[in-house]
This record gives sequence, structure tokens and C-alpha cells, in this order.
Amino acid sequence: MTSAPARLSVLIPVGSRQSPAERLYAEYKAGLELTGLPFEVIFVLDGPQPDYERALLELARRGEPVVVVALTRYFGEATALMVGFEQASGSHILTLPAYLQIEGTEIPALVAALGQADLAVAVREPRASSWFQSLRRRGFHALLEWVTGLDFRDLGCNARALKRKVLEEIRLYGDQQRFLPVLAERQGFRVREVAARQSKEDINRERYRARSYTRGLLDLFNVFFLVRFTKKPLRFFGMIGVGVFTIGLLELAYLVADRMLFSTPLADRPALLLAALMIVLGVQIFALGLLGELIIFTHGGGAKDYQVERIIHYAEDGGDPEIARPATLATDLT
Amino acid sequence: MSDRAGCPPPTLSVIVPFYNEEENIERMHAALVRALEPLGVSFEMVFVDDGSRDSTAARGEVIARADSRVRLVKFRRNYGQTAAMAAGIEHARGETLITMDGDLQNDPADIELFLAKIAEGYDMVVGWRFNRQDKLVTRKIPSRVANWLIGRVTGIRIQDNGCSLKAFRATLIKHIPLYSEMHRFIPAMASIAGPRLAEIKVRHHARQYGRSKYGLSRVYKVLLDLMVIKTVASFTARPLLWFSLMCTPLVVIGAAAFVAGLVALGQGRPAIPLTGTGVILMMAAMVLLASGTLAELVYKLGDIRPEDFARLTKKSMVDPRPPARVLSRGGVR
Repeated sequence: MTSAPARLSVLIPVGSRQSPAERLYAEYKAGLELTGLPFEVIFVLDGPQPDYERALLELARRGEPVVVVALTRYFGEATALMVGFEQASGSHILTLPAYLQIEGTEIPALVAALGQADLAVAVREPRASSWFQSLRRRGFHALLEWVTGLDFRDLGCNARALKRKVLEEIRLYGDQQRFLPVLAERQGFRVREVAARQSKEDINRERYRARSYTRGLLDLFNVFFLVRFTKKPLRFFGMIGVGVFTIGLLELAYLVADRMLFSTPLADRPALLLAALMIVLGVQIFALGLLGELIIFTHGGGAKDYQVERIIHYAEDGGDPEIARPATLATDLT
Repeated sequence: MSDRAGCPPPTLSVIVPFYNEEENIERMHAALVRALEPLGVSFEMVFVDDGSRDSTAARGEVIARADSRVRLVKFRRNYGQTAAMAAGIEHARGETLITMDGDLQNDPADIELFLAKIAEGYDMVVGWRFNRQDKLVTRKIPSRVANWLIGRVTGIRIQDNGCSLKAFRATLIKHIPLYSEMHRFIPAMASIAGPRLAEIKVRHHARQYGRSKYGLSRVYKVLLDLMVIKTVASFTARPLLWFSLMCTPLVVIGAAAFVAGLVALGQGRPAIPLTGTGVILMMAAMVLLASGTLAELVYKLGDIRPEDFARLTKKSMVDPRPPARVLSRGGVR
């Protein structure tokens, strides 16, 4: 592949958690310069933050390769990333948090990992945190592994390096940025984890609110559905529907048997209502699944079920132009 | 994708998906060449590597680079047999397509019989492993039950839906949507187009190398998929009818329970459980009908039109107009 020289676009969504612009930029710049690649830094201000914006513009005025995108309200990190990506011109993308999670000097290792992968996600190691936090984190990742079968150790780390094509194929929304590695793996991209030293600032800043727990769980459910059932909704709805239906049917059978054998009049049994309700609910959930299948059948035509990596045939003409060959570090990052 | 110059589309394409079949891919290639060369038709082989973790892809690549009749479609990861078949069908260029398993259980020597049937004017020929070499309890009995059930539900009564060795007229199969795990239901799915279908007995060999990738766990999936096929294949154009059929028993039982409740009331006994049950059931029927209406809307806004499937068979092709292209999004409708 004769590619243009590699260029890094750094996306930094700036939400409520942030380090001072000046220091953040200095830290990241030091790391980025170590890669030896040209780079641009795109800050996406997620909601109005006049002070931060002023500091960034000051950096730009000094001739730093800084681009500032200001969103008029809070859209969430995933949207901020997608907006930033629209501005990005680099062949390789780096997403970094607006507060220091990893040390800037770890950036070259992260970028270098793209030689054998399409996406590299940093794992803060060694990780300093309270036993409660680490328990919470382990629980989350165990749940994730159970749901998706993928073993990640630190999806909370927002430092990721990826090739341009990854974000071109995956449209993030909601709070999905955390699951980008999962979604990328699902699309057939090669994903690697790279150990990175945790920043000292990050060590003191671990804090989570109950709201972020529930949101995290809902997102996990969302990903669960996306990964497992998008193309077969009846597997999901059918499972629940058949389960509820069966319980209702068993209860009904018991009531009817009671009526036949012991002559307890059905009219005296309010439990009959519950049985009927369950049966009905089961049928309806099932019907929802069928409706989902109909939607996929009639609307899913454009979306393919699979991703072809490449097509290989008789090597006279050097193969197809659309072939994406696995890149080596040497050809891909120079 | 551009065809190479001086290389016209072949008459026959053989599509073989491989998943972790490193012991078999070279043997399969050799067996295919041995079976196809004497036939005197131009042919190509489309091998699909379904994200194998062993050396299947590497070996396939060697074959594809050495033999101009082989193309290897390599998936990024494992997507399952249906996706592999669909990709093979998409990339095949022949007029007649043959699909078969990569595990050497199908015999390439049977391909000749399939071609003869297609030449007779059939649109689709499916193999029947009448002498199946698999385990009785975990493979053969469930399969027999499944085939009977599929025949009952879809009306396509064939002996062996699971046999991968099948032949299709390319115009037909390229327009039939294949997704999820539909490869077991290709005949039923293709019935949308009303093809002339033939079934012939094929040889079946016991697995020599590698391991079987199936087990009993698929029964539940097959049942649900069957429901899906019934919905999309028989009732695509009139989903409301299908949903109405489903709610008929609810209405009947509900009305009966309601009347029984009224009778109980007349006798001075408690009536709430029975009348309540009747009301719940009838309400549910209404919700189902509402779902059916929604389904009509979904269908109306969708890309699938019955007329798209009307001209895919040989018989319908006496009309010189080419078959309509299905699954095109947007465009003139």
C-alpha cells in the first residue's frame, strides 16, 4: 500500500473532568514529539467552557498545532469524539482524555502498537486505587467478558490509538466511547492492549458517582444487545417471551388440573388472571421479536453481515486494489 | 471489483466455506479439480476463509496464488457459515453456483448430477444425504425431526435441509437475502421466488480430518429461526394476516372466558377471574393486531418487494426483461 506519510490527529474531548489546558498540552506534546510524526491536536469542548477555550486559543496563537471545536451544549463524549474526528486529517487517530490518565511519555508505545493492530487501548499499569475501586472495576470487566466474551482490563482508560478506518466504520453515540475496543473487535479489527504508566494526577482523582454506575450498566446492556442480537432479535425477544409464556402456561395447567380433579371452580381463582397475563405477555414479547425480524428483513439489505479482509487470487495483476494488507510498522508509520 | 481482462465469467462457480479446516483445504481443492476438469465446462472455485485460527487461510492463499481458478475470500474474523456462504455467493461470477462443505463430507464427484438437473431447467437442486455418516443421536435424529418440522411449517418438503451441497441458478440465489443463520433454510427462503426445486441423493462420507463444529444446542435456535422464516417468507407481503392468525386463538378463548364469567355472575358466583381473563386475552389480541399494523408499515417502508422475486426463476425468464435488482436502497421505486 503506497500510503501518504503517517500523520497523527489527537482527539481530546473536554468534559467536566479536565486538567488545565496549558499543562495538559505540554505533557501530551512532549509525548507526541517522541513519536517523530507530524501531529495536530483537536480539542472538542463538550458544552460552553469559555475559560478553557481562551486558554486553548492562546496556545493556537503561539503557533501550536491546535484546533478547537466548541459545542454549544453538552453532547457526551462519544459525540464529541465523532465531531472531532470529522475535523481530523491524520492517517492515525489518538484519543486522549482531557485529564491526565497516563503519562505523556507512554504515547509513543501506544502509537507503535498500531504496527500489529488496528486499535491499541492503554491499560493503566501498575494501577493505584482503593480496594473498592479495583473491586468495582474487576466486576465490570468480568461482566463485560461474560457478555461479550472479550477480555479487556481497562476500558475506563480513554487513551487509545487507532487507524482512521476504525472510526470511519464505527459510528459512536451515547456513551459508547468506552466500548470502542469491543465494537472494533466485533467489526473484525485487531485490538491490542498496551500497558502504560498511570499519571500521578489520575491516582488522586478516582471518583465515581452512582449515576455513572447505572449508566455504565445500561451501556453494557446496549452493547450486549448490539453485539449479540442485532441481526437476530427473535433470539432475544423469543427467549424472554417463551420463558414468560411457559410460566403462565404451567400456572394455567395447574389451575385447570385443580378444577378437573378437585372441582375448585376457576371462577374463584384470581390466580387465573396472573396466568392469563403471563401467557399474553409472552406472546406479545415474542411478537415484538418477530416485528424486529421483519424490520431487519425489509430494511437490513444494505448492511452486510460480514467484513471481508481481502480477496486473494492468481497473482498476475498484483491483486485487487481494494485489498487492505496487514501493515507492518515500517510501511505504515513512516 | 473488476474482472481481469481476457478472463470471461465462468459457467460454474463452486463455493466452499472453510473454518479451521487446515487438513482439508488442499484435499478439497485437489478433489474439486479432479471432479470438475473432466466436465468440460469453465469453472471457478470460491473459497471463503471464515476467520480460521489455524493455517487454513495461509494454505488457501498458496492455492489461490497458484491456481487462477481459485479465489479466496478472507474474512476479518469468524462470522459463521451463513455469512461465509453469502460472501461466496456475492463474489462468485458463474451462471450456476454450487455450495458445499469444506470438510470433505460431500463428494465433489456428485457435482455432475447437480449440473445435469440445472440443465434440465430446475432453478435449485438440493442434496440429500440418504446414507448419512454421522452420529445417530446428536446429529441424525435431531436433523430428521427438524427437516420434518421445516417441511410442515414452510411447505417446502425436502428430506435434508442441512446438506450443504446445493446448486442454484445464480440469478436466483444472488437475490435471496441470507443473514443470521439462514444457511439451513436456504430452500425455504428461496421459496419466496417460487423456484423449481429438485432433490437428489448424494454420497456422504464420514469426517476424516478435523472436528465437527455442531452439537445439540442448536435445536432451540432452529425453532426460533423457523418462526422467522415463516414470518418473512410466507407472509412478507401481508404481515397483518400473520399477526391476525396469531391472535385468533386469543380472541376465541378470551370471548369464551368472558361469557363463562357472565354465566357465573348470573348464578351469583364470583365473576371477576373469568371475565377479567377474557378481557385480558382480548386486549392482548388487540395489541397483536396493532403490532401487525406496525408490521405492515415496516414492510411498506422497506426495501423488499414481492415483484423483486418474481423474475428469478428459469420459467419466468422467457420474458426478456432482466430480473429486478433487489436490495438496492433508495433509487426509483
